[in-house]
Amino acid sequence: MWAEFFRDLVDQGPLIMRGLGDSLLLTAIVSLTGFFLGLVVFYFRHCQFAIIRLILRGYISFFIGMPLIVLLFLMYYGLPPWGVSLSPFSVAVIGFTFNVAAYNAAYLTTAYHALDSAELEAARAAGFRPFQVFRLITLPQVLRFSVPALTNQVIRNLKDSSVAFLIQFNDFFSRVQELAATNFMFFRAYLFAAVVYLLLVMVLVLIARQIERRVMIPGVYIAPESLGSSAV
Amino acid sequence: MAFSEMLAQLASGAVFTVLVTVACCATALAVGLLSACARRVFPFPAVIRALDLFAFVFRGIPVLVLLFLVYFGLPGAGIRVSPLGAMMLSLGVISGAYLAEVFRGALDAVDAAEIMAAQSMGMSRWQVFLHIELPQMMRFSVPGMVNEFTNVLKYSPFGYTVGIPEMTKQALVLSSATLRGVEIYLAAGILYFLVYRLLLVGVRVLEKHWRVPGMGPAHLQDQPV
Amino acid sequence: MALIEIRRLRKLFDGHPVLNGVDIDVAEGDVKVVMGPSGCGKSTLLRCINRLVEPSSGSIHFRGAEVTGPDVNVRSLRQQIGFLFQQFALYRHLSVLDNTALGLRKLKGMKKKEAAERALHELNRLDMAGHRHKFPAHLSGGQKQRVALARALAMDPAVILLDEPTSALDPVMAREVAQLINRLHGEGVTMLCVTHDLEFASAIAERVAFLDEGIVQVEDRLSVLYEDHAHPSIRNFFMKQERSS
Ligand SMILES: Nc1ncnc2c1ncn2[C@@H]1O[C@H](COP(=O)(O)OP(=O)(O)OP(=O)(O)O)[C@@H](O)[C@H]1O
Ligand SMILES: [Mg+2]
Repeated sequence: MWAEFFRDLVDQGPLIMRGLGDSLLLTAIVSLTGFFLGLVVFYFRHCQFAIIRLILRGYISFFIGMPLIVLLFLMYYGLPPWGVSLSPFSVAVIGFTFNVAAYNAAYLTTAYHALDSAELEAARAAGFRPFQVFRLITLPQVLRFSVPALTNQVIRNLKDSSVAFLIQFNDFFSRVQELAATNFMFFRAYLFAAVVYLLLVMVLVLIARQIERRVMIPGVYIAPESLGSSAV
Repeated sequence: MAFSEMLAQLASGAVFTVLVTVACCATALAVGLLSACARRVFPFPAVIRALDLFAFVFRGIPVLVLLFLVYFGLPGAGIRVSPLGAMMLSLGVISGAYLAEVFRGALDAVDAAEIMAAQSMGMSRWQVFLHIELPQMMRFSVPGMVNEFTNVLKYSPFGYTVGIPEMTKQALVLSSATLRGVEIYLAAGILYFLVYRLLLVGVRVLEKHWRVPGMGPAHLQDQPV
Repeated sequence: MALIEIRRLRKLFDGHPVLNGVDIDVAEGDVKVVMGPSGCGKSTLLRCINRLVEPSSGSIHFRGAEVTGPDVNVRSLRQQIGFLFQQFALYRHLSVLDNTALGLRKLKGMKKKEAAERALHELNRLDMAGHRHKFPAHLSGGQKQRVALARALAMDPAVILLDEPTSALDPVMAREVAQLINRLHGEGVTMLCVTHDLEFASAIAERVAFLDEGIVQVEDRLSVLYEDHAHPSIRNFFMKQERSS
């Protein structure tokens, strides 16, 4: 039986590999865009205009409290009647980016609160302009504190990318389901998908450990689960 | 269709959303607590390794994949699971694996001297866990639990893929009937957000009730006055 | 026969002997003090008595029975032996009253009200009743140690083992604890106390045993140990103590 499954798997190999590639591409893109938008949000989250700070706080909280899939459906099913038709991939990239950026900004904010404020005061007193203080002192430290949370977010992005098939994006998971629909071996197909995701996560975890070893200050970090109370 | 009617239909879905969320959170708590308890009461290498493996595997599989494996895959192996049961076995168990990690960290923050004091009083391993480690662990875990329960709420829409008429399902139905998807999904998003804020308020009330003055994890403990 | 009789007690950690033939007696109503340098095995000695640590060889008799014997119930043994820790080890999620009452409720099976009454009685005895609703984080070191003592006394133990009860306290508080121990001694409480605080030791006992290199080197009146310096390691130990205090 398993032999049969793997024979079909090999038959559909090219499609499945393409799906896997698309899943990884989506993950990579939204990890980057989410990271950079997160930085921007984090920067303006602490700017001098109270109204901007308030709006961004609301943005972070809203996107942490609302399911990503609702946002994806809003764009995918809601926008066409307004004359805006986006491809599944575009919808996924935009939706994920806003979602991931909110999380990353929240992690960075938590790290920011853990910073030594005396150091920032000293930098300001030394005549650095606000953006210089941010770029030279705040950001490097905040990033180091947040490494585990940020790498963890990338792993999450990979797993969450499987959601994109619900808006007809032909990712790895949807290709595996097509395979299952032809031979009716659902259990095997889903088990296979689970194992592949697990292996990919293991690879990402190993890479994350390497990064942590290089850039982290031992013992000082923001745990991903610390979100619940502080940042939002 | 009037907007108020749409809201009413979304709200009817919200009931199922809350139901799914509560059921999966309860599953997660049960799994997390069992794992934490086993880790402390039966600390044999084989048990520890099995628990670590469990936590690693279930944190590495996407919720949707496990949900489909349970709901659409298991019948092929002769096991039929109800939609809610499938949600609990996928979303609930995965969140349980995350909670197990949260609890593990919290257990490490319990002062070893207090555990030894309880043992030297004559408590059994189980009594030490129940009366000393568990109450402290729960308090240390509040941020992690809030985070995890929020995740459960946010993954609860997957319930629609196995036929649970929860809020996202209602939004899908409404938007295909009215072509007013933007407003409908926005309304749904806001409703989800309100449930989330309600959860936070609830936790804050509970936390206030159970708060112990001056208690933080051992390594964060402030100096005695 | 003494309440506790320790004979040729040995304890090895990773093949290395920490205790290497210790002999100690603790008579009923006695306050026995064991002194020794840091790392000489004082904590290990106490932990062997209530089997938080398993002895490697030798014998420990408690109330005439061997504590490592085959039909000894370790948990009931521990209920008869109070233990006071260097760092107090109060349960920080419980109030002062609940700290004192926990063992009564969960181990002695008392009802909540009865346990609270009993606990309050012990707290009263140690002048801590007024603090019964406070949590450990809001107590001073001396107050914590008194609560720990009340918690031990509430279980009505045959003996209390004290592991450096003053090393986390400032001198004033240490003196307070010494007075307290003397009072309890007067009330007939049996205690075995290990410490390396000379002032504290001399405040609660006339005789001390000196533990070093795994054995009790000598047991005598403090004034004798202090003046005669029979042994170079003793001389060193007590001279250093004198300078630091
Ligand atoms: N569980 C253990 N495993 C291995 N070695 C141990 C263990 N417990 C204690 N030791 C070692 O045994 C020796 C005695 O330790 P113990 O804590 O009994 O000394 P102590 O006299 O109480 O010291 P201190 O004054 O610092 O409290 C030390 O060298 C310690 O490193
Ligand atoms: Mg010691």
